[in-house]
Amino acid sequence: MSTPYYIPETNIPLPPVDADVLSTACDYCIVACGYKIYRWPVKGGKVGGEKAEENAFGVDFPVDPLGPWVAPNQYNVVLHNGEPHHVIIIPDKDTEHVNVLGNSSIRGGALAQKVYNPQTPTRDRLKSPMVRMFGVLMPVTWDFAMEIAAEVGKHVIKKHGENAYCVKTFSYGYMENTYAITKYALNSVNTANFTFHDTPSDVTSTPGFRDAGFDNFGPSYEDWKDAETLLVCGTDPYETKTILFTDWMMPGIYNGQRTIFMVPRKTGGIAWAEKNGGMWLDIQPGTDLLVVNAIARVIVENGWEDSDWIQKWVNNKWESSSGFGQGTRNTPWQWRTTWGKFQTAGFEDWKKWLLSQDEFAPEKAAEIAQIDVQKIYTAAEWMAKPKEDGSRPKTSVMIEKGFYWSNNTGNTQAISALGIIVGAGGRPGQVIGRAGGHQRGGLRGGKYPRNKSPEKLPGRRRRAMDTDRYLMSGHTRFAHVIGNTWIQSMCGSQSLAAKFNELTVQNPHQIHSFDKQEIIDTLKRRVDSGGMVVVNQDIYLVDPIGARYADIVFPAAGWGEDTFTRANGERRIRLYPKFYDAPGEAKPDWWIIAKLATAMGYKGFDWKNSNEVLEEGSRFSRGSRKDFHMVKVVAQREGKTLHEKLAEFGTNGIQGPVLLQDDGTLVGTKRLHDTARKLPVDGPSGANRLGKKLTHFNSQTGKCNIQKSPWSLFSDYWAWLKPKDDELWVTSGRINERWQSGYDDRRRPYIVQRWPENWVEIHPDDAAARGIENGDYVMLYSDRIPVQKDTILGVEGDDFSFTKLMEHGHIELTEAAITAVAIITPAVKKGLLYMDFLHTAQPANALSGRVVDWISGNYNYKMGVGRIRKIGTSPYKTSYRSMSFARRDIA
Amino acid sequence: MTKHQKPLDPALVEAINGPAEVAKTGKRCLMNRRQFLLTSGITTFTVMVALKSGPASAKVPAVVSTYERKHIGKLSELKEDEPLDFTYPDEGAYAESMLVKLGREAGGGIGPDKDVVAFNYTCTHQGGPLQGTYKSEDKVLGPCPLHLTTFDLTRHGIFISGQAYQSLPQVLLELDGDDIYAVGMFGLIYGRYDNLKG
Repeated sequence: MSTPYYIPETNIPLPPVDADVLSTACDYCIVACGYKIYRWPVKGGKVGGEKAEENAFGVDFPVDPLGPWVAPNQYNVVLHNGEPHHVIIIPDKDTEHVNVLGNSSIRGGALAQKVYNPQTPTRDRLKSPMVRMFGVLMPVTWDFAMEIAAEVGKHVIKKHGENAYCVKTFSYGYMENTYAITKYALNSVNTANFTFHDTPSDVTSTPGFRDAGFDNFGPSYEDWKDAETLLVCGTDPYETKTILFTDWMMPGIYNGQRTIFMVPRKTGGIAWAEKNGGMWLDIQPGTDLLVVNAIARVIVENGWEDSDWIQKWVNNKWESSSGFGQGTRNTPWQWRTTWGKFQTAGFEDWKKWLLSQDEFAPEKAAEIAQIDVQKIYTAAEWMAKPKEDGSRPKTSVMIEKGFYWSNNTGNTQAISALGIIVGAGGRPGQVIGRAGGHQRGGLRGGKYPRNKSPEKLPGRRRRAMDTDRYLMSGHTRFAHVIGNTWIQSMCGSQSLAAKFNELTVQNPHQIHSFDKQEIIDTLKRRVDSGGMVVVNQDIYLVDPIGARYADIVFPAAGWGEDTFTRANGERRIRLYPKFYDAPGEAKPDWWIIAKLATAMGYKGFDWKNSNEVLEEGSRFSRGSRKDFHMVKVVAQREGKTLHEKLAEFGTNGIQGPVLLQDDGTLVGTKRLHDTARKLPVDGPSGANRLGKKLTHFNSQTGKCNIQKSPWSLFSDYWAWLKPKDDELWVTSGRINERWQSGYDDRRRPYIVQRWPENWVEIHPDDAAARGIENGDYVMLYSDRIPVQKDTILGVEGDDFSFTKLMEHGHIELTEAAITAVAIITPAVKKGLLYMDFLHTAQPANALSGRVVDWISGNYNYKMGVGRIRKIGTSPYKTSYRSMSFARRDIA
Repeated sequence: MTKHQKPLDPALVEAINGPAEVAKTGKRCLMNRRQFLLTSGITTFTVMVALKSGPASAKVPAVVSTYERKHIGKLSELKEDEPLDFTYPDEGAYAESMLVKLGREAGGGIGPDKDVVAFNYTCTHQGGPLQGTYKSEDKVLGPCPLHLTTFDLTRHGIFISGQAYQSLPQVLLELDGDDIYAVGMFGLIYGRYDNLKG
């Protein structure tokens, strides 16, 4: 009732018995709960009744707790085959996996509000291709827009080279689309100027996991429940992947699981876990590595490590080096082994190194991290101290972005070693992995041409191109941006925006014509003059990438508007069927790419539907964690399409990698690195692929590499960055209500009512010192946001260290400012400000340093500093219609 | 009897049945068909709600329906932070509601301090019971025993943290002298498809 347009309904129509029922999964977070869609025509005025025999749910109303209740936010009207239909979208009460009791988060719970309906705030969906003429984005036909994009694209590639054509794309927007996009960008265009939505370069998100041999998504959800001790680093799964918390971790905690959260902000899940015997490791940003290694140190000093596991599953000196030193193998793993900073000669060597690092002494680590040292000892006991009967606690480790986006390489190396010594990985309840962010919808249709990347580290190390720095240097002439904001989702976003503005809007060659050839010629002149053309492909017009900088806009179709396939955080592969008509001329991304690729003259893009794309792509999934190739083999045997076969699995899906058994049935994979799993003794039959990751780790030997994680590789940046004078840490993260769903949330009145704009949590002491109260408008600002510039060739070993970059003039200090609504809460650590990660209008990333982790090439998004001051009073301070200033950590 | 797909975890059943004092009332026993009575004396009227800081601060029709005007308490007898239970809009399933004097001005609040509000007790996520979860310090109902949602009673029952699909339904109040009347509702009550069909 609190926004001018949000008036809660007090009734909904029930689906009649003969309503269509479709199984699907949620569009948003990694957990991908199972849903059911009930659809029936508006025509005829038919609705279901309150008796079980009168409605499609088969239950009497009012329903029981956990029953198929329909909140008004779960109802909408759509066009299906051109006719208005009612739709109700609620969690699947029959599903046997993921959201077992038919639970859902608030995000998925309101899926019905995301579907296009011109009577709702979704009315601004992109409905036709547009070309910017006379400064305005004008609707045009597909052919008109495509020809311009293709002609200019061809010109750029021919005259300025493949690397001048950049593709910046989502990595998760369903396998049919990502296959088409990567086939086009990496195979056809063959550009190294390519990356995904959340990183400036196409590099691994968790370098330490990769080196140790851990898959990011090896564990099953059941493992998180069965762990007796669970260390969660850099996330509260209740605040993000909520069903993982409520349906898997909460039952674990009820069963006595001791859960440790290492994160600087206390949230609802942490407060609840603490009340039920858990612990909060309230570190200050960037100090994770010290605390992890201090815990490891206490463990080895007490001899609590899992010696049997280490003996059997950790590489010794010879195994660590096996496969290396035999000519140039240009892989990140080899760079690191030749670097000498990480590789060890096995457990004893690692232990010697660990004990020799002064900053890992618990007292020292606790002092820098600003935590009670006793928590380090307690964590070590919980994770590794054998029980009275001599058995070990089953310990698991979960990490996410608060952790690996703070000190990307260092933190992931440190946690891998800690995981190894407590025996996490490869056994029920004893696992290590990521909790996840977006769903896993990537399918590679081409190989990244690393040798075309200009990014060269010392030695033989060539790294994927940093697309932000390449653009800042003026080399990118054509930016093809698919389903992401690019600018606000990268670090130091305001200086990045300024460069986009210079290369597009401020370039003298602007379209002042309706003639197609003149438009093409103008844009060619623009790119030849050093400017840039932007093509943006999305479901909504995003500001500024689409609204201000794009010359051509392609309207995309999304969830429910075509049939797609995707996996979740335990590799569960499911079909997401089309259930209603996409708005206007909007088309799925694979269709747009196919049309563009064909116009550019590339072959192999003549798919008729999304099933054909997936059937072509399935073989490229072989050997990956979501290998589903054998599903296609069986589908063909049975005379079905791949999509039809996947539909048979419903919301239960099937966990990759999928194997075909001798009796003709398909079997999924509960967990990767499953050391107890028995595979056929006589090897794979038919097209089956029995990859190493099924029963071993992803390393050269199948055993884990235990690696060093030196603080010194990061400490210079951390010491330079940490707050000075009246500065505070400015970090950011996610909140349950808008996570992996930001593109829809601004169009959901209920969510807009809760979070009308970005906000900042501030500790009461810091607020009092600055005269800030709940509901005040504040300005967060800084004049020392470090921005790494130049694409340089590394020669000396430390050329890419922050200290050397600074010395050599490759770091520029920039200014930025963002506004927010202040929320005073003791739930954040003193000295720290916490904002929502990705608000397009008030992006927290404006204040985070644009300096990549110098080993991996990832940004450390969580590391920012700034000042804060009151600029006035927000309307939310004194009215009751919107926002809430109550604390989120009530248990 | 409504359909149950699978046996429920006993811990979950206990959570749904609510705190011991609620379970004793028998109103929330999961496995029993709820008894509900049709109320008599239903009148039809339009509830007018002032959206105070709206563009025109106009009164808009919130609900046109047939809610009973029900006497639920006396202002002079309310003690700060001591919720008073009542049922509304009928005696049926999920009608249990609470009336509370928050001691802090609240959206939709009545009385001289605009701090008396009333809300339905059932979580608008999956039907968890919120009886006995009032937190006086923060003016909050919750966390829900099922999935931990919390609701801000000063702001029309908006969720603070958690999963609820909509704000907690607010019972609209009228003050006549010292008498407090429930006169309507904002938001659909959990479990129902229509507030007036319980």
